[in-house]
Amino acid sequence: MEIDMSKITLRPFKLEDADDFLLFAGDDQFTENLRWKTLASKQEALDHIKDVCIPHPWRRSICIDDRSIGFVSIFPFSGDEDKHKANFGYGVAVKYWGHGIATKAAKLAVSRFFLDFPEVVRLEAYVDVENLGSQKVVEKAGFQKEGLLRKYAFIKGKSRDLVLYSFCPLIFLLLQAKVVIVKP
Amino acid sequence: MEATFVVQSHQNKAQDECPNLYLRPLDVADIDAFMVWATDEKVARFCTWEPYTNKEDGLNFIKNVVLPHPWFRAICVDDRPIGAISVTSNPGSDKCRGELGYVLASEYWGRGVATRAVKMVAGTIFDEWPHLERLEALVDVGNLGSQRVLEKAGSEREGVLRKYVILKGRTRDMVMFSLLSTDHRPT
Repeated sequence: MEIDMSKITLRPFKLEDADDFLLFAGDDQFTENLRWKTLASKQEALDHIKDVCIPHPWRRSICIDDRSIGFVSIFPFSGDEDKHKANFGYGVAVKYWGHGIATKAAKLAVSRFFLDFPEVVRLEAYVDVENLGSQKVVEKAGFQKEGLLRKYAFIKGKSRDLVLYSFCPLIFLLLQAKVVIVKP
Repeated sequence: MEATFVVQSHQNKAQDECPNLYLRPLDVADIDAFMVWATDEKVARFCTWEPYTNKEDGLNFIKNVVLPHPWFRAICVDDRPIGAISVTSNPGSDKCRGELGYVLASEYWGRGVATRAVKMVAGTIFDEWPHLERLEALVDVGNLGSQRVLEKAGSEREGVLRKYVILKGRTRDMVMFSLLSTDHRPT
């Protein structure tokens, strides 16, 4: 299938997305590396959109021709000590894998997020060590690999080794401008 | 459970340096010993707190933070607390992960005390908390002493996390270290 990348857009979720949401989030392969349970009914999809997507500080639907095929979430931490950081996550419907949609969505999301949350200086993405596809997505979106965190989290019944990536806008811009950063 | 409260070091190598190093719970009765390191700006440098200026704040810390803490021990030498070491736990499915922290009176720096204390904790915490798989520690990139402690104690240096914490108003890069329950346990 050929995808016209200009048709990939981000927008907030609507209850009307429930059927499309169930199509992608009802797939075990989609939720494999997420903490979510695979959705099993339209009601669960409606509940998830109403209770999680809509109140979320920054979650967007990834759309083709305004139809929802995935999500991008950026979740700022709460508390004075942590509000400079946010957690990045995403998912794209399995049938749309392999076209660069996630990379485009990630780039769009990152640039828009900082306009809404200028106090955040660090985005983090934790990617399963075996999830090479997602590692490539975040790398192409400008995240830098920081390290492999062994047995960091327990997800879907297994201890996971997670690769930690971060995006720090100031450092990203300086690198783009090819400014040499010298540590004092 | 009494036996697990007092953790003793059986290392012969540093026996002439600080013999009888052990860990035990910290209590309000230890306030004077606590104030020795808590008022020291060298000790507070890489900590989130400013040096303590009065005993009442110290007592409040012991009552409100230390006593209810899931795992907090005084590091004792010659039966006197000279520092503290703790492991915090995480809720829910993150309970596989705990964070190690410690503090040591500056008079005892450079003698391998902190390294021995970390090894003692690593040798006991995975038995006391069977759900724990990972003991991690975050160290300021500028804190070379503590980076050496964790390396000597057998931790894996996993990477530098940029702008990870805000310390005294400034964002700081932190080095992430970890010890796993499956790593060769230091004795």
